[in-house]
Amino acid sequence: MKTIAIDLDDTLSNFTETLQTTEFVREASHVVSEEVFRDYLEKIRSGAPDTSDLLSNEYSSFRGKIICKCHELAVARADGIEFMQWLRANAWRIVICTYSDLRRDGHTIKKWLEDNRIPYDYLFMAWNKLEFCRAWKIEYLVDDQELNILHGSRYGVKVFYPMLPKHAALAANEARGFRTFDEVRQWIQN
Amino acid sequence: MDSKLELLKAFYSGLPKDRAKVETGEHGFEYLDTMLSDGATLEYGEMHRSGLLYKYKLSNIPGHRMNELLEAHIGKTCNVCLYFDDMANSIFCVNLDNNHKMNNTVLIPEMNLAVRLLMEHLTRLGCEPLVIASGRGYHLWCRLAVSFGNKEIHNFLLRSMAVTLAGLHKQGFDYNNIKANFYPDPRVRDAVSLRLYGSNHAKNKVFSHVFTPEGLLDEEASWKAFENHLNQKTVAEAQFREACDFMMRAF
Repeated sequence: MKTIAIDLDDTLSNFTETLQTTEFVREASHVVSEEVFRDYLEKIRSGAPDTSDLLSNEYSSFRGKIICKCHELAVARADGIEFMQWLRANAWRIVICTYSDLRRDGHTIKKWLEDNRIPYDYLFMAWNKLEFCRAWKIEYLVDDQELNILHGSRYGVKVFYPMLPKHAALAANEARGFRTFDEVRQWIQN
Repeated sequence: MDSKLELLKAFYSGLPKDRAKVETGEHGFEYLDTMLSDGATLEYGEMHRSGLLYKYKLSNIPGHRMNELLEAHIGKTCNVCLYFDDMANSIFCVNLDNNHKMNNTVLIPEMNLAVRLLMEHLTRLGCEPLVIASGRGYHLWCRLAVSFGNKEIHNFLLRSMAVTLAGLHKQGFDYNNIKANFYPDPRVRDAVSLRLYGSNHAKNKVFSHVFTPEGLLDEEASWKAFENHLNQKTVAEAQFREACDFMMRAF
């Protein structure tokens, strides 16, 4: 059976755009003042690391809630939906492969997939997607992460990535960038 | 093996057996097909950072498959973690973890004191816990003769933990170094599960030894303590109600 692994954030959805542009409103469950709320939000948007020595802290808890909200609000790429439905119609085994915390956001993500009529067989979280694809003998990975784009060939994984502004200065690699999912459809058919 | 399986099923009889998180090194679509035969479904999977450990959240697990999983758990080839009922439970647990990002398997002084304080507090209220060493800390399990609503159990645990953290603070420790999770937790539905007693931890391969005020018991003595707790330490309905009332009045 032909198998493909596909990322969610910034591949099938506009996750980063959602994070950067959504007008988040402080809620009681955030348990922080308005000033701290604004400060934490800015930190998340700028990608600042969590500098605390502690695993579970006020910032990590707040960050989790904002990230989960983004998973709920993100918009799916229309050509991505069409591509996923084409995969299903053509008997591909579809693995959604994400860095997202599925224990925390699994229900939200599954609802998002369902609401957007995106078919899939399995939902997996993996920090090293290339190692995951190699271990599960998955030939194709569609993903926007630079590390995966650069090193896919070392793991025997063919990587396709949506061309985004952040990819402008990528080092030489064997992955293939695409503007529409229709290109990926053609490549995996050949 | 059979008696251990029966003990395990009896101890955790109050927890739903149709869903579980399974931690194992096994992977691949062939393995998954086997796991999912007979109607089970994969909610999601997870590959650990090491690439050597996988976690599978399964639902609709048929009875015979759960038996196989529990046998594998006792046989130390996987870990079975069970979820709690969404509404009411006859078993509860506090999971104390070292909250540091680095070197968090080290037994910090705060942990040593916290587990002893919480044990003493619960025991004083007639709810002596079975304490299991687990990964970054301890699991404190209590069995109840009847089911109580999750909110009631959570209110009790929240106040009990506050007493524990106040004790840490009083002795000059920073209670932020300890992370406490409560099971069941009515704020979280169907999201968190807890590893059962009786296996080697899938990550560090260490057995889930029973902890007593005198120290950790070896594997054989741990199973005896587990059986003893099952037979003699289940908390009567009136006793737990009294403990809950006391904590609600006090805080």
